[in-house]
Amino acid sequence: MNLRFDIMIPELFLFGWAIVVLTADLFFIKEKKNALLYMSQFGFLAAAALVIFTPTGPNEVGFGYMFYNDTFASFFKIVILLAGFMAVSSSFEAVQKSIEHKGEFFGLVIMSAVGMMFLVSSTELVSLYVALELSTIPLFILTAFQKRYLKSSEAGLKYLILGALSSALLLYGMSFMYGMTGTTVLLAGSITMLLNSANVHYGLVLSLVLVVAGLGFKLALVPFHMWAPDVYEGAPTPITSYLSVASKAAGLAALTRIVYGFYTVGTAAEYWGILIAILAALAMIIGNFAALLQSNIKRMLAYSSIAQAGYILVGFVAASQLGLSGISIYIFAYLFANMGAFAIVVAVDHKLNSDRIEDYAGMARRSPLIAVCMTIFLLSLAGIPPTAGFIAKYKVFMAAIENGTLFWLVMIAVATTVVSIFYYARVIKEMFITEREVESSESKWILSSPITIAILVGLIGTLIIGIYPEPFLELASTVTQSFVY
Amino acid sequence: MDSSILTILTFLPILGVILIWLTGKENHSMIKIIAWAVTFIDFVLSLYIYFNFDAAESGFQFVYNVPWISHFGIQYAVGIDGISLWLVILTTFLGWLAVWSSWTAVKDRLKGYMVSLLILQTGMLGVFVSMDLFLFYVFWEVMLIPMYFLIGIWGGPRKIYATIKFVLFTMLGSLLMLVAILFIYFKSGGTTFSILELTRFCVTLPVSTQMWLFAAFGLAFAIKVPMFPFHTWLPDAHVQAPTAGSVILAGVLLKMGTYGFLRFCIPMFPQAFEQFIPAISVLAVIGIIYGALVAMVQKDVKSLVAFSSVSHMGFIMLGLTALNMQGMQGSILQMLNHGISTGALFMIVGMIYERRHTRMIAEFGGVFKSMPIWSTFFIIVALSSIGLPFTNGFVGEFLILTGTFGVAPVYAILGATGVILAACYMLWMIKRVLFGELTKDENKNLTDLKLFEKLVLVPFIIMIFWIGIYPSTFLNPMKTSVEKLIGDVTKYVKHTDIENEAEAFIPYNPHEPQTEEHADVRH
Amino acid sequence: MQVELIHFLCLAAILFGIGLYGVLTRRNAIGILMCVELMFNAVNINFISFAKFITPDKIIGQVFAVFVIVIAAAEATVGLAIVILIYRNFKDVFIDKMNIMKW
Repeated sequence: MNLRFDIMIPELFLFGWAIVVLTADLFFIKEKKNALLYMSQFGFLAAAALVIFTPTGPNEVGFGYMFYNDTFASFFKIVILLAGFMAVSSSFEAVQKSIEHKGEFFGLVIMSAVGMMFLVSSTELVSLYVALELSTIPLFILTAFQKRYLKSSEAGLKYLILGALSSALLLYGMSFMYGMTGTTVLLAGSITMLLNSANVHYGLVLSLVLVVAGLGFKLALVPFHMWAPDVYEGAPTPITSYLSVASKAAGLAALTRIVYGFYTVGTAAEYWGILIAILAALAMIIGNFAALLQSNIKRMLAYSSIAQAGYILVGFVAASQLGLSGISIYIFAYLFANMGAFAIVVAVDHKLNSDRIEDYAGMARRSPLIAVCMTIFLLSLAGIPPTAGFIAKYKVFMAAIENGTLFWLVMIAVATTVVSIFYYARVIKEMFITEREVESSESKWILSSPITIAILVGLIGTLIIGIYPEPFLELASTVTQSFVY
Repeated sequence: MDSSILTILTFLPILGVILIWLTGKENHSMIKIIAWAVTFIDFVLSLYIYFNFDAAESGFQFVYNVPWISHFGIQYAVGIDGISLWLVILTTFLGWLAVWSSWTAVKDRLKGYMVSLLILQTGMLGVFVSMDLFLFYVFWEVMLIPMYFLIGIWGGPRKIYATIKFVLFTMLGSLLMLVAILFIYFKSGGTTFSILELTRFCVTLPVSTQMWLFAAFGLAFAIKVPMFPFHTWLPDAHVQAPTAGSVILAGVLLKMGTYGFLRFCIPMFPQAFEQFIPAISVLAVIGIIYGALVAMVQKDVKSLVAFSSVSHMGFIMLGLTALNMQGMQGSILQMLNHGISTGALFMIVGMIYERRHTRMIAEFGGVFKSMPIWSTFFIIVALSSIGLPFTNGFVGEFLILTGTFGVAPVYAILGATGVILAACYMLWMIKRVLFGELTKDENKNLTDLKLFEKLVLVPFIIMIFWIGIYPSTFLNPMKTSVEKLIGDVTKYVKHTDIENEAEAFIPYNPHEPQTEEHADVRH
Repeated sequence: MQVELIHFLCLAAILFGIGLYGVLTRRNAIGILMCVELMFNAVNINFISFAKFITPDKIIGQVFAVFVIVIAAAEATVGLAIVILIYRNFKDVFIDKMNIMKW
């Protein structure tokens, strides 16, 4: 057993920091609890710095293949930590207004991030499962955190039940995987090789269907997406943003670790390619069309994120270096745009007490800068240049076209992108075009500095990747070159 | 200077955006002056390019080339040739006048308005100067955003419907084009997006592949032109857009469609183009006649002008299908003409709308008596739009019809009916609006044009007569580039008629070895 | 009759099916949580029987089962807490009352 504590320093640090935040809660008087927010921000940034300095590579394996720190993992860790940072930053107003027990709130967010970090590094089924639960159980609590708010508790219960159900499905699939191979190690091709050497038989099909279904719930893939809009609407908005980005990224990394190997090599390839392709097509179609009907911006962004998962899967189906690096850059672009958009939703919710899209009317007059930022985020989500979303969609489409057999999927992606522009443009329309009487009391908005930081980070990320994507594309391709399956 | 001038030209409006952004929201005169000055300097810069343009050179000039995203072999490559030269000048010309024409028309949210116009100008110039497909696509898409706002915020009563329709139509086409671009990229080995290199590669593709790619590119451009079945967004967008928006839309945005055919569809997929010639010709002729007929029954002056655009753009497409010197040159010249005449028409309609707040033909009558100067401008521009000799429209349409007649007389004859119909709808409209009895009280008290409005219209009148009387100024710089284009295309087209036709007019020998393969980029 | 691997797998499959059926049909939130526990236990049976029959010399299956039990307990704790919260807010634990958010 090789106990490599040195390669999990960021996780250990962040775990310790979560405890520190939880404890510090006891020492601050009620008026000073904002310090907890700054502490958590610091924790995320420090952990991100540690991730950068932690060695990565094929030799950085610890605990008997349970923990593997390749560049793929550390890339996703950065994404998760940035998402956590932005979620915590954008929770300033929300925390003051409707969150009691601030220490637990921040402590649980950090704890969930620790779980996700372990998840993206897991290359073994036991540690993968434990990490997955470590990341989702805090999220159940966080979703139901606004105790007196009916929607929040309802969302919490829905998330809990479907989360537990999906865990059960996942575990059942994993048990067959273990039964057929006698091992739980994913790395070094153990499971992959064994499964591929066997012919496609029912056990394999069953286990992979169950695993995909289980992770599909976590990723909110269609047809396992029903919980997502309700949970996104009911949860406190910063948690919604965190859910929509960090837990999606982590789930995607897990899906990649488990499933990717199966269809890049061997006999199962053709079956899995088509299965995931159909999931991607469904996600794009249902996500985008359902988003058209929404009047609540959180629900609209929920359906949009379901659709975004579909676009990510297009890169996944392409099953190539290009596809994997497309996924990485897509997640990165999606991180900035979605977190930024949600930060603005938090700000609007705080000022107007509303999530309705109609209430965004007249925003351009009231606070033009916020409206412009929101427009840029939505354009990025829609994939219009010069934003990060365009580069990401471009790369994913590229991967699918390179594959050669996926033209139909690209066509669906193209058609649904046009649909998506319709609902993103609707928000922009409300903000800029629809006229609304502005009351003098709400004439000028002054945002707190943490939420401004969150919006700025999103804006800078979105524009830099959009205008000068070179270093990020390089990063994405180095990330995937080291990916072992 | 020479290598960076196109970059300066393209991004100068962005500098204006920053300056305007720093200006206070209420400081309207300052905002207007900045926008005016920036667009004027841009126009002067484009004239500098014209004076330093080497008409004997067929390839790209003022080339500037740096790696942008070398990961995919994407470059920031800009250049200009005889085909895009005039479109660039047209863009800066109309951009400047569009800013000027909104001097008093726009009072609400002026800052955002000027910012949108300036970003739009960067996007349009970028489209015309890009030598890299990726860069082209980025500019092509970027342009949509300011146009969405221009129509959506400062538009007429049905602005939201119009702007969403415009954006969705354009996006659908351009995303298919994106797929085609990526397909070509991979087919060619995945190393470059350079338009010149990809053109060299694409002509070697089998015809069946070319057909699909042509269709994907062609759909994007046909929507933009717009060709007959895809034209439905155009009247909505035009009627609802503010005056400057209509001017830019008709003057420049529609030209991007035809420019796309000239720059991409035809040279990249010549064999496919040959297959598509009958279809395009038929659609073009349908567009000419349909547009004219529908224009005739319009009750609104602006939608009449909008449908006349459909008709005129049909002429341009018809000229392209001729694939000979007159047809092509006529098409390019007609792009300019249409930009000038229709742009001027929209401005003139905008001026009366500012005074009367209606554009219904029935609301007018006898306006000549109360606004003689405005009416004179209106008549001159309408006549140029019809194509009266000594005006610009005549030269363009004449060249197009001659070019087409040599290849496909039937289409030329059918197309010529469009000229007659144009005379019908324009003159009838002129009669109903300007002449007759002054019956309505509102029309009696109209004030005639102010000085600045006259100043805005005068450049248009100068251009109308200049092109009409001495078109060589405009035809000469594009000549070698067009010759080269026709030469490159006819190499691959087996259609003997067209080949003979082309040889009859240009000194081109298909058996001559192409030793200058790489000499077409002048650094 | 010798008790083989297949018998355990069938037992687990039946348990899993009952649990899944319960999750999908029960209206009481606590009942649903119990059915989820049933599914977890089916998984445990699977792991342990695979460990016994497939890898008798390694204990990885048992380890997995222990982890599953522990995490299921944690999940049940959080679940019950949320159910209590629901009871306070809705005065009920029947999930068809939980329909504030639709579409």
